[in-house]
Amino acid sequence: MNDNDIQVFINGVRRYFDSIKRDVRVVIEPPFIKDEEKPFLEYTGIIGISGKAHGAVCFTANGVMLENILRFLNETPINRDVICDLVGEIANTLSGNAREEFGRDFLISVPIVSTGQNVRFQFPSDSRNYVIPIIWQAEKAFLLVCIKQDTR
Amino acid sequence: MKLLIVDDSSVVRRAIERDLESGEITEVDQAATGEDAVRLYSAKRHDVVTLDITMPGMDGLTCLDKIVEINPEARVLIISALRDKATAIDAIKRGASGFLCKPINPSELKEAFKLLIED
Repeated sequence: MNDNDIQVFINGVRRYFDSIKRDVRVVIEPPFIKDEEKPFLEYTGIIGISGKAHGAVCFTANGVMLENILRFLNETPINRDVICDLVGEIANTLSGNAREEFGRDFLISVPIVSTGQNVRFQFPSDSRNYVIPIIWQAEKAFLLVCIKQDTR
Repeated sequence: MKLLIVDDSSVVRRAIERDLESGEITEVDQAATGEDAVRLYSAKRHDVVTLDITMPGMDGLTCLDKIVEINPEARVLIISALRDKATAIDAIKRGASGFLCKPINPSELKEAFKLLIED
């Protein structure tokens, strides 16, 4: 995984938020590398990656952003179960969309959802952890790409 | 017209149902797993099925195989986050009538559904 590969995920984030409501712009700040502590927020959807790469892709956000997305989707009622469902689905969409670039051997798991900042998942120790900051409606989220590619 | 919506996300299932609401659809069933989808389809032979691929247990492509086995004329629209051409081609070869990528664009979904029922 390198800086150019991260662009694939940035494109996916833009596509996802544009699909919610095109006239509400998403701001994607410059990605950075954070190999130690990961910036988990209230809700995190985790997708395990295997096949030609291994690791995980995580979408993490606070409840306010996720509730706002659900309102745009006309989802009612909004509760913790629905929020967890959504955060997993966003992680799934952003990971699955990356197969446009990485191909069919970029295997993605079903989502695992974690709440709180103490996320229990075995992240690969030998990968770089890219963090993509996302701002939408004044709320912040992060896409974490913790992947080591075996071959390209 | 009977519609079966298969996706492990309840948010996605309800969004698809809302997007496709019309007078033509008289009955909607939802399934969160491939296993439930096959059971429901086997019993009710829905006119159209929307089908996710990445699901716990039976994945969508295996589910597609089973639905096509039950009814080779089944109209199945795959709606998946998997954005690679190989998966889309594979799904079509296995009997899917169409392939849409997530995130779902409601206009594209309505158009794909319209084409499917006109077919």
